[in-house]
Formats: sequence, structure tokens, C-alpha cells
Amino acid sequence: MDESTITYNVFHHVAWGTTISVYFWLVGASAGSFVISSFGWVFGIKRYKPLALTASITAIFMLMLVPILLIWDLGKPLRFLYLMLPGYWHATGPMSWGTALIFSYPIAMIIYTYFVFKNNPFWAKTIGIISIILALSTHWYTGVVMELNPGRFLNHTALAPLLFLTGAFISGIGLLILILWVQNMIVAIKNRIEWTLIEEMAQYMMYGLVFDAFLLFLDFMQTLYGSNSEVMGHEVVLMGIFRFPYLWLEMVIGLIVPFFILVTPLKKFKAGIILAALLVAVGVYGMRVWWVMGGQYLQTFY
Amino acid sequence: MAKIDRRDFLKIGAATTATAACPAFIDAMELQLGGKDFHQIRTYHARDRKPYLCTMCSYFDGGFTYAEAGEVLKTEGNPNHIATRGKFCSKGLASFFSASDPDRILNPLKRVGERGAGKWQEITWEEAIKEVAAKVSANLDNVDSIYLNEGGFKDSGVVRFMNTIGSHSIIRSRLQGIGTAPKQKALEQVTGAKFMLPDLEHTKYVLNFGANIMETAMPLAQRLTDGIVNNRLKLVTFDVRMSNTAGRSDEWLPVFPGSDGIIALAMANVIMQKGLADTNFISHWVNYTAEELAKKLEQFTPEMAEQASGVAAKTIINIAVEFAKSKPATVFSHNGLSWHKDGISSEEACLLLAAITGNIDNEGGVCLPRQFNVAEPQPAPKSTEKLTKTLYYRFPFEVKDGKRKVQILFNHMSNPVYSAPAASIWRELLQDAEQIPYIVDFSPFMSETSELADIILPDVVDVERDNVASSPTALWPWITMTIPNIEPLGKAQDVRMTLKQIIAAIDPSGAKGMQQYWDFSNTKQWVKDEITATEGTDKKTYKRLKSKGVWPNYGKIDPADRKILDKKGEPVLANYGTYKENGFATESGKMEFKSPSWNENRQLKDLKPNEFVFTTFKVAYQTLSMTSNLKYISEMYHSNPMWINKNIAKELGISDNSLVRVTTEVGYMVTKAFLTQGIHPQVVGMSTSVGRSAYGRVAQADPDAHTQFVRKGKEDPDIDDNLWWRDAGTNPNDIIPLAIDPESGIQTWNDIIVTISPAEPDDKYGDIQVDNAKHFAIYKQLLRRLKNEIS
Amino acid sequence: MQEEHEIRRSYGLQTAGSKGVAGRKRYAMVIDLRKCIGCRSCMVACKAEFGIPLGVWRTWVKEGDKGSYPNTRRIFMPRLCNHCDYPVCVRNCPTQATFKHKDGFVLQRYNRCIGCRTCMVACPYNARHLIPAKRTDKNLPTMVVDKCTFCIHRVKKGLVPACVQACVGGARIFGDMNDPNSEVAKLASKETLTVLKPELGTSPSVSYIGGDWELMDEPHSYTNRSKYMKEEFNTFKRNHKGDAFGDIVEGEPTMPQVGQNMVGFLNTIPHKAKGVYDAFVNFLFK
Ligand SMILES: Nc1nc2c(c(=O)[nH]1)N[C@H]1C(S)=C(S)[C@@H](COP(=O)(O)OP(=O)(O)OC[C@H]3O[C@@H](n4cnc5c(=O)[nH]c(N)nc54)[C@H](O)[C@@H]3O)O[C@H]1N2
Ligand SMILES: Nc1nc2c(c(=O)[nH]1)N[C@H]1C(S)=C(S)[C@@H](COP(=O)(O)OP(=O)(O)OC[C@H]3O[C@@H](n4cnc5c(=O)[nH]c(N)nc54)[C@H](O)[C@@H]3O)O[C@H]1N2
Ligand code: SF4
Ligand code: SF4
Ligand code: SF4
Ligand code: SF4
Ligand code: SF4
Ligand SMILES: [Mo]
Repeated sequence: MDESTITYNVFHHVAWGTTISVYFWLVGASAGSFVISSFGWVFGIKRYKPLALTASITAIFMLMLVPILLIWDLGKPLRFLYLMLPGYWHATGPMSWGTALIFSYPIAMIIYTYFVFKNNPFWAKTIGIISIILALSTHWYTGVVMELNPGRFLNHTALAPLLFLTGAFISGIGLLILILWVQNMIVAIKNRIEWTLIEEMAQYMMYGLVFDAFLLFLDFMQTLYGSNSEVMGHEVVLMGIFRFPYLWLEMVIGLIVPFFILVTPLKKFKAGIILAALLVAVGVYGMRVWWVMGGQYLQTFY
Repeated sequence: MAKIDRRDFLKIGAATTATAACPAFIDAMELQLGGKDFHQIRTYHARDRKPYLCTMCSYFDGGFTYAEAGEVLKTEGNPNHIATRGKFCSKGLASFFSASDPDRILNPLKRVGERGAGKWQEITWEEAIKEVAAKVSANLDNVDSIYLNEGGFKDSGVVRFMNTIGSHSIIRSRLQGIGTAPKQKALEQVTGAKFMLPDLEHTKYVLNFGANIMETAMPLAQRLTDGIVNNRLKLVTFDVRMSNTAGRSDEWLPVFPGSDGIIALAMANVIMQKGLADTNFISHWVNYTAEELAKKLEQFTPEMAEQASGVAAKTIINIAVEFAKSKPATVFSHNGLSWHKDGISSEEACLLLAAITGNIDNEGGVCLPRQFNVAEPQPAPKSTEKLTKTLYYRFPFEVKDGKRKVQILFNHMSNPVYSAPAASIWRELLQDAEQIPYIVDFSPFMSETSELADIILPDVVDVERDNVASSPTALWPWITMTIPNIEPLGKAQDVRMTLKQIIAAIDPSGAKGMQQYWDFSNTKQWVKDEITATEGTDKKTYKRLKSKGVWPNYGKIDPADRKILDKKGEPVLANYGTYKENGFATESGKMEFKSPSWNENRQLKDLKPNEFVFTTFKVAYQTLSMTSNLKYISEMYHSNPMWINKNIAKELGISDNSLVRVTTEVGYMVTKAFLTQGIHPQVVGMSTSVGRSAYGRVAQADPDAHTQFVRKGKEDPDIDDNLWWRDAGTNPNDIIPLAIDPESGIQTWNDIIVTISPAEPDDKYGDIQVDNAKHFAIYKQLLRRLKNEIS
Repeated sequence: MQEEHEIRRSYGLQTAGSKGVAGRKRYAMVIDLRKCIGCRSCMVACKAEFGIPLGVWRTWVKEGDKGSYPNTRRIFMPRLCNHCDYPVCVRNCPTQATFKHKDGFVLQRYNRCIGCRTCMVACPYNARHLIPAKRTDKNLPTMVVDKCTFCIHRVKKGLVPACVQACVGGARIFGDMNDPNSEVAKLASKETLTVLKPELGTSPSVSYIGGDWELMDEPHSYTNRSKYMKEEFNTFKRNHKGDAFGDIVEGEPTMPQVGQNMVGFLNTIPHKAKGVYDAFVNFLFK
């Protein structure tokens, strides 16, 4: 069309805004740290046992914030109970499953942490398995809750849960590295986590980054060859309004730079790893922002 | 998964709202358009319905108000109203909000401190009446120094008041100038009637010259859309910009301003030349023979029209032929055509087109008006009114010039400080207590004019006012009435009661002979008296109006195709050819055209590259002032960037939405540019109705603009919290100089030349710089030029 | 066959699509764009009918110009909830607050709605909104999601919806698609009807005659906004307390955007807190 101008002034809001982005980030970081925590007790990788407690406490703490945020975000916060009342529970709503997960996952985690604390390998492992499934599910569901909206060009892709899980994994590790680093500064020398362990985690983080990049590439291909909304959405929303969170925060700060650090001798430096961890954790927040709000943005003027 | 059905989840939901409590079934019935109403949630009882006459614009559409618990919650068109057919425009639908408007004036106010300083004191009605009556009494021996500026389309008693006290100083701002004066003059001259009605519903072809039917003429617009779909009519619109009407026309022909007349004449010429004219009609009903006409029209060639208008001669010929061959066809014109120098001639040219094709008062043609002339309650005082051409425009200048001595100015339903040309002169004058010692305003809202008053005697608003009117908007005459569905809010009082009290105070014993004209108990009585005095009504009129809202009854309106059906369900046909019996209401009984003429406005022709013709136009959702504080209206339309052709703007270095200076002879304003493909390259345009310095929080787009006079009738947390827009637009009337056409007495709003330039670095949006001395100089010049012509 | 297919596609609280099913009604709206004059009476009528607060709409009229001078045209396209036969909004709501009525209405139960806005994200047509915390009539719900109800309260009383009542051009036509004598059914058989985003399989009950899809589709409306409308859009996002908690205002410097967005979010906290407090007080003492 050679010329056209749209002139009406009815606008809409992005329905899920900052709170939801933050919440997605927290859930992700929690799941990520929890996976690390489970390395020792569930998967039997002994050298990870020392950091299991810190990791799962981090995970619990992150997740404690989640319901607060979610409830806060509700138009009717006092009605959050409806989400769990039998007469209200709606089987086809992804959010309904999520509610079940968000409430069962921390409980399982707490029990697991208790057994870790009590040094009870059997129960720690058993509950740990359940928890890890819940952790993954919780985060899987955040992807799904965005995915099952066929009208949202950006989010309606089966990659969504994977993208979320990968993001969760790397941001969780990133955050954990930061916490362990701080913890090491405070606690007695004998209780410190070995730096090699942290380096190893950073290595995992690097693999995660590669996978993440791959997923992003797939997503990019889909939008590039996609429908009008997808192509335009990429051009206008992702490269336009959300250029900062998408291109800079997620891709450059959260992916390229840390990857560079982790594959070059820079990773030998403590500071390098700390920096990479920080950037990854922050970068994933960028992804949460563009993923949540970007998908809705075109429609706020439709 | 088990299927849950509707009934189950009603059971599941312990708490159900009324929405959900709607029965699971809906009785099979044909859906009706309206005529009753229910609250969405609170109750399911039918709401109280009362007839309602919308006076937000001159069409006076008939409808209903619906009230619940002492509050009007809705207005809508009367589905059996012959003109409205159930349809109100957005303004009419929102009009009831003015009753509950939190920024409304609910108590008589007396100015304290300087004029216009915004300091008011609430006084009682007794005090107010006493004060005004004393002022009037003091000036009764020099009664012509008591002035009235009346803006209503219909007298609401204020003119009668002037007649009663015997003052001749009546300004009828709308009737004497602002609106459709050229059109009325032309019609009166040619047909003896004041209005015309294109039968858009039944026509095949519409030639539209500068009328924005779809935005400003709602009763016609609905007929137009019916014609478009049912009749597949062709709509050709001449306009300088793409109005909604132009944008929805089959053809929009952008014309150079003021050239409609020559186009119409050229078309008439083509029709005569090609032998497409209805010579039979001409010989019977036109004051010239076909040969005479053909000869007179010869000079107006399509080439000449092309030269003047920019519309290709070929197009003009094609359209002329199409128009003449389409039977029936109709013509309509409005301000776009007539707000120019010599607008009357252009109007006549339009009528000529209809006449030579025999499309006068036929089905699908240009019909004569059908209307009741609602009369004053009797006995009525002798009219002192001398319609003084252009007095409205000249008034502030003449007072400043010392030609008129004003002691008191009554202002009713008019807002010259906002709406008049050279508005800044009005502001200056009204601010000057030496020139006009006492100003009384009846406005229920703190308008730009009310701000400068000395005393405000707040009137009731539309939905609270007893009223009756008729307007020629349908092929059948009708009367509609308002019966208020609620008590006036606060201490607001109908002007007529206020005036009655003033009269009683001036002439307490009746010795001055004034009381006899104000001998009615209430406004209901007044309306009854008006109906009784109106020719053609009978005893049943009032009763029927009360229950049905409209009189007479011509049948039911089929909601599907909006045709009127009689008792047998057959369509009722209008009575056409009304002139045939007694001829036209002219001297000869024929249509009396002056010799066709068109004078080019040379001034407009020598535009420099950065000079443009300035047009101001109306939009569908606003009236000049009355709608501006209605939240739903202003939410939709609150700002008026200046339209400018995209390609030209680029040449001038103006980018979209950048600030521009609009400069006229008297000053400049700074506003935003809207670059569009929908406007003639030599024209820039701005809409009216926005750009307010007063009127309320909504109108001013400022939720914090609390005015201290406001006694909140009803709080609206919605306005406090959710009013989201901040751009309130700009009003160009300060910089629009006086430009009066001597013949029609109209302000030629569409002949204004402006210079457009990108804004200077220090310019801020909304800046206005105007030199009133220059305004004055223009007035003086005008006077010299029009010396002999202005009466 | 048809019926089976329909049932298969109806999840959760959706009654099966009723189009063409004997003995059932399928209320539908046909919008004849040839008759729409862009007067926006429908918008005001709808807002007045329900006392809809500023900044949210149940129906709106899209508007745009196309072409180059002098060959230009103006397009109007009213929008409202499509009352989809397969509504994504219903499917995704976690509390059964929204449901599909068997006669074709998609409705909202305010008392169940928790304001999670899942349905808003789900609706491909942006037909839903969150009612702001403050509105004129205190007795009406706030902070829950609202949408066009097809005026069921009027329809059940034998009246057409308010926007249809008001439609000056006569462009909005409402009735039972399953009744062959209804105006909508006649139009459906005579004219070419189109719906919005048919590819999503929502099967809308609102259809159009004569739409200009290229101009009015989602990305196009967005990218071709006039500059002024972009400015308005930002004003709206800045000032309307939509309680969406951190909308992004476009066109601001991109670097601090996420930070600014956070600040915006923090700014809404006191506002929201007051709302919660009010609700609490209301709940306890009123
Ligand atoms: N919505 C709404 N309706 C109203 C009113 C209102 O305020 N709001 N007011 C009522 C009143 S008081 C009046 S007087 C009428 C006015 O009704 P209209 O006359 O229809 O409205 P205007 O906007 O004054 O002018 C009509 C058109 O003239 C065009 N125009 C300007 N110059 C020229 C020209 O040289 N040639 C041609 N062909 N066109 C030109 C403008 O672009 C504009 O679109 O509306 C009545 N109805
Ligand atoms: N630039 C430009 N200027 C124009 C036009 C244009 O196209 N361009 N159009 C012109 C035209 S056609 C017209 S008709 C005029 C209209 O101009 P005006 O006749 O001045 O009409 P309004 O500006 O609507 O002012 C009406 C005033 O009446 C008061 N009022 C409102 N409701 C009530 C009520 O219920 N009772 C009483 N007693 N008072 C009430 C309010 O104070 C309001 O300000 O404007 C003209 N001005
Ligand atoms: S056109 Fe609108 S404002 Fe004018 S009388 Fe009719 S409803 Fe009222
Ligand atoms: S248009 Fe949106 S809100 Fe309406 S039924 Fe369809 S999905 Fe639901
Ligand atoms: S906002 Fe209300 S209707 Fe929408 S999904 Fe949440 S609970 Fe359901
Ligand atoms: S059907 Fe009713 S609720 Fe829906 S848009 Fe029309 S008036 Fe509004
Ligand atoms: S009321 Fe009718 S004609 Fe007017 S904008 Fe709405 S749909 Fe179009
Ligand atoms: Mo007018």
C-alpha cells in the first residue's frame, strides 16, 4: 500500500507487564539454582553436595517472592484463593496448572532442604526427584502460559518452554555463582566452596548459553519466515521498542559477552567468571521483558 | 474431560453477578431497536422514560431520557421519530452527562475581585435576582443600552425578555451570522423557504458541495447510508479536505476554496448545452426560460471552472452528465460552499443545478422543508427584534469604537470569547468594565465567556429543561418535546423562571405592563402554551408528545430498513411536489434565481508558496462548546493538529507532528502539524471545539484544574483518576480576523489566508500572539469598504 | 459430522459452537462497513450503557486514511469482542470467571474474576480490558476484567445491543444467525462476510461486509499510526493508571528503558496498595 495513516485514538495496555517479567525471572532463577542443588543429592555428583544447601535456600527464597508478586499483580489480590478452590479451578487454563505447581514446588523444596539439612540421603533423593520435576514443570509452565496464546505472534511457539528452561538454567547458575561468591567471602575458610566447582558451573553455564543461542536462532528463523505479525513484530517490536532488552540486554550483555569471557582465558580470572555470571543473570531478565511484553505490544494498538 | 454445561457452572459459581444470572435461555422474539431501557446490573426494572429533545445542535433530534433513582442514565433516539428513527449522534448520546458534570455551576455566582480573575462568591437567587433587576431598572429609560447576545437556535425566553422591556439591542449570534445565513438567504430568494432537504434515502446521485453530512448532519447521514447500500447511489463530494464524508464518497474532488459556485455553474452550463435539462420544469417553475438560462450560463465554461477550482474540465463534464442522467438526483451544500465571499451566489448555483434537472421537491431530489413553526406563548410582547446583519461580528468593535454604549450585556447560550472571529477582541472588551459595566451570563458551565461575567445565573441543562421544537429534517413535519426526567441539580434554574423573577422584580405591580407576558406557573406551562400557539397542533398533541415523544404519528418505523409503515404494514409515502398546488413562496410563485454569477476571490489566488487558505471545520463528536466537558466525547476528540498536505509540508520543512506557526494578519499561533494526503495543497485546516482555556477539567485535559467555584454536584472518581490525555488542542479564533461578506453578512471563515512556517526555537505548543490593534484596523478597513453595503 | 467436530474443539467452559445447530441460537453481529460513517455513536452508547471508565473500551472504531492525494479514501472499522465460538479467553481463564453462553455470548462473571488478565493475553483481538480502580458508579465492579457482553441484558429483554441501537449509519446489524429470517442471516447468505484473523480458528460471531484488511490488520495499524497518534499512545501509557503495572512507553531512550519501566512499576505500588487497602476495608467493614 503506497500510503496509509491510522488515526484513531483507542489504546490498550500490555496486560502482563513488569511484575510478570520479574516473576518469570525469579521462577527461572529458582529452578536453575535448584537444579544445581540437586546435582549432589539427586544425581549423586558428590562434589556438589556442599553447595546444595545454599542453592536450595536460594531457590526457596526466590520462589517465596513469586506468590507475593503474583498476588500483588492480581486486580483482586484478595481473591487469589479462587485459584485453588475446587469450584473455581479450571482445568483448561494453563494458569490453573501453574498455581498448583507454584504452591507444591516450594513445599517439596522445603521438605527436600530439610532432609539435606538433616543429611538424610534417601529422603533427600526421593523428595529431590519430585522437587526437580516440579522445578522443571514450574518453569516449563511459565513458558506454556505464554505459548498457549495463539494470538501472540512472539510467544506462540513450541520453543517457548525450552527457551524458558534454558534461561532458567543459566540465570539460576549465574545467580548461584554470585551468591556462592558472596558466601565464600563471609563464611569460615573451611566451609568455602571450592573455586573449581564454581568454574565447573560456569562451564555448564557456557553450554547453556550455546543452547540458548541456538534456540534464539530458531526463534529468529521462525519470525523471519513467519506471518505478517511475526515478521513485523520482529522488526518493529523486538528491533524497535524492545531493542534494548532484546538486542542489548539479552543478546549482547547476556549472551555474547559472557560467552566470550567463558571461552577465552578471561575465565581464569575470578572476576571474569563473576562478571559473566552477573551478566547472564541480568541478560536473562532482558529476555523475560521482551518475551512477556513484546508479544503483547503490537496489539496494544489494534 | 467431562463437558461442563452452562447450567452447571452457574451452580459452581457460588457468587454470581447479574450478568451471569441472566437466564440461560432467551425467549424467541424479534429484537427491538429501543424505546425501553434497563440497567445492566443494578436492577432489571424498566427505567423511567421521558421524551427528550436534543439541542446540542440545530437538528433538534427527538429521543428519550431514561432515569433511575433520580438520575438520568441514558439518552437515546426515539425509534418511532420520523426524522431520528432511533438514532442520536455521539453528542446527543452523551448530552445527559452535562447534568451530572462535576464542573457544572450549580449556584448563582457573583464575581469578586477583578474581572476574569476567577474569584467567585456564591449568592442566593434572591440576591441575584434583586441585583440584576436593580441594574435593569436603573437603565430602563435608556433601554437600548441593555444588550442581549443570544446564541440559542431557538429563543428560550431571553429574546422575549428583551421584547418585554422594550430593548432593541438584540444580537442573535447564530441566526444573524455564524451558521447558515448565506444558505438561508439564497433559499429565501429562490424558493421562499429557509431550508432545503436533500432526499438522500431515495436518490441515485448526490452532488455534495462543502457539506460534511456524515459528521455534521446526522439525520441526513443515516439516510445517506441507507441510500448507499439500498439504492447504490453515487456520492460525489467537493471539499477542500477529506472529511469523513469526502473519505467515504465514491468520489472526492478536492477543490480550491471558494470555487464551488463556478463548478456548479459550469455543470449547469454543460447540462443545458447537452440538452440534458428538464425544460418542462424550467418553463413552469423557473423565472427564466431554458433558452435564457442556457445563454446566461454559456460564459461559465468547464475550462473556466477548471482554472478556478483545479478540478479537470473533463471531470466536471462527466459529473454533470452523470448527474443530469441519474434520476432522481440531489444536491446539497453547506458551510464549505457558503462561507466565502459571495456565498449566496454559489448557493443559488447549487439550487440551479437541481432546478434545471427537475429535481425539486420530488422523490430523491431537493425537497422543500416540512416543519411546524413553534410559536411563542400568547399573548406575546411586540417584537423589538430588528435583524441587524453582522451585528454579532461588529459588536465588540463598535463598542470599542464608542459607537454603542452598553450598560448591561446579557449572554445566553453563546460563547463568543471562544467561538467568534477575532475572539481576542471579545475577550478584551468583556474584560473591560468601563466599556461594559455589567455582564450577566446564564451558562451552566464556566465557559471562556462566563469567566468574564459579573454574575452568572446558572441555567438548567438540556435534560432538565422543558422544551419543544420542530426542525425540517424529515419529509414529514414533526414536533418533539422534552419533559425533564429529573429535578435540576443543585440550585440551577431554568432561564425562563429566572427572567420571570427578574420581570416580577422590575415590574412588581404589573403597572409597566410587563408581567402579563410572564404569567406562567412553570416552564411546563410555558411549553404547553407554545404548543397551543403553534399552528397545526390540536388538543391531542401534548398528550401524544408526552407518551410518544413525537407528534404527529405517521406510522411505525421498520427497524430493519427504516421505512415508515402504516397500520397495514405498508410503507407510507411522503408527499412530494408540494409547490405544485400554490407555487413557491416567492412573488412569482416560481423559483426566482438572480442572474447566475460568480466572482472570483482574487485575494486567494495570489498565494505565496508558504501561504495557504485556512479552513476550520467541525468533527462528528463535538459541538462548538457544549460537548467539550463531556468525558466520553473529549476522550475521543481533544486535540486538533493542523492538517497540511504532506508533499507541501515537506517542501516547507515541516515534519509530521512538529510545531508550526500559523500566522495571519493579526498574529500567530503555534500548533502541531498533521501531515496528510487528504487535503488540497493550498489549504491548511484545523477543527474547532477544542483548545480551551476554561469549561472544566475534561475540556482542559487537566484533572487537577480545580476551579474554586465548583460545588461538586456529583463526584466523578473516573475523571480524577483515569483522565489520561493531556493535549487539549488549540483554538484558532483569536487569530482569525474579521472577514465579513456584505451581502450575506456572514463571516467568511473559509477565506482566511495564513502563512505557515516551522515554529521558532522558543515557540511552545499553544502559544498565541495577537495584536488587537490590528484586528481593529481590519475592522476599520472593512467598514470603509462596506460602508454603503452594511445596513 | 459438523457437530462432532465442534464438540471436539470446545474445551472447558465453552458450550459447543451453535452455528447452524438446530434448536440453538447463535447471536451474531454483522458490521456493514459500507454504512459505517465513523460517527462513534456506538462507542459513546456502549460507554454510557455500562458507565465504562476512561481509558478502556468495549468497542471502538478503527480509522485510517489510504491513498495519495487526490486519490484517497477513509476507512472505518468498528471493533468489539467477537464472541468467538472457540474463545481462547475462556479456555485460558483459571477461575471459570469467563464462559461461553449456549446462545453465543461470551460472558464474564465479575465476582469470580481475580483480575489476573490471562484472558486478556489470550484474546487475539484485544477485546478485553481491566476496569481501573476508580469508576463513576461505586457499586459497579473494579479491577476485574470486563468485555463486551453483546448486551445480553438488553437482548434478553428483546432489545438490540446498545451500540446497534445507536448506530447512525445502520452499519451494525444484530440477530440470530440460526434464524433464516433474521437480518443477519439474510446478509450472511447475500453478502460476502469476513471475520478477523480467521486463521486462528476462533470462529468469530462478528463479521464484516467490505473490510480493508491490509489497512486494518494488527501490525499495519500499529506501524502506520500517524505521529500524533504515537504521541497520544505514549501519553496514554504514561497517564492512564491502567494498573497493568509497568507498560513500556515507546520512543523513549532505549538504554534506560528497562530501568524506567521498573520505576514506572514502582510508582504504581502506592496506587495499588491503596486499592488493596480500600478493598480490605470494604470487605471487613462494609
Ligand atoms: N458534529 C457537529 N455537527 C454539527 C455542529 C457541530 O458543532 N458539530 N454544528 C451544527 C452547526 S451550528 C452548523 S452551522 C453545521 C455546519 O455543518 P457543515 O457546514 O457541514 O460543517 P463545517 O465543518 O462548518 O464545514 C463543512 C466542510 O467545508 C469544507 N470546506 C471548507 N472550505 C471549502 C470550500 O471552499 N469548498 C468546499 N467544497 N468545501 C470547503 C470543510 O473542509 C468542511 O469539511 O453543523 C451542525 N452540526
Ligand atoms: N473557527 C471557527 N469558529 C466557528 C465555527 C467554525 O467552523 N470555525 N463555527 C461557527 C458556528 S457554525 C457556530 S453555530 C458557532 C457556535 O458558537 P456559539 O454560538 O458561541 O456556541 P458555543 O460555543 O457552543 O457556546 C454555547 C454556550 O452556551 C452555554 N451553554 C451550554 N449549555 C447551556 C444550557 O443548557 N443553557 C444555557 N443557558 N447555556 C448553555 C455555554 O456557556 C456555551 O459556551 O461557532 C462558530 N465558530
Ligand atoms: S445530530 Fe446529535 S447533537 Fe444534533 S440534535 Fe441530533 S443527536 Fe443532538
Ligand atoms: S474476541 Fe477475545 S474476548 Fe471475545 S470471545 Fe473471542 S477470544 Fe474471547
Ligand atoms: S482476569 Fe478474570 S476472567 Fe480473565 S482470566 Fe483472570 S480470572 Fe479469568
Ligand atoms: S454489544 Fe453491548 S457491550 Fe458489546 S460493544 Fe455493543 S454496546 Fe458494547
Ligand atoms: S455508530 Fe455505526 S456508523 Fe457510527 S461509527 Fe459506530 S458502527 Fe460506524
Ligand atoms: Mo452553525
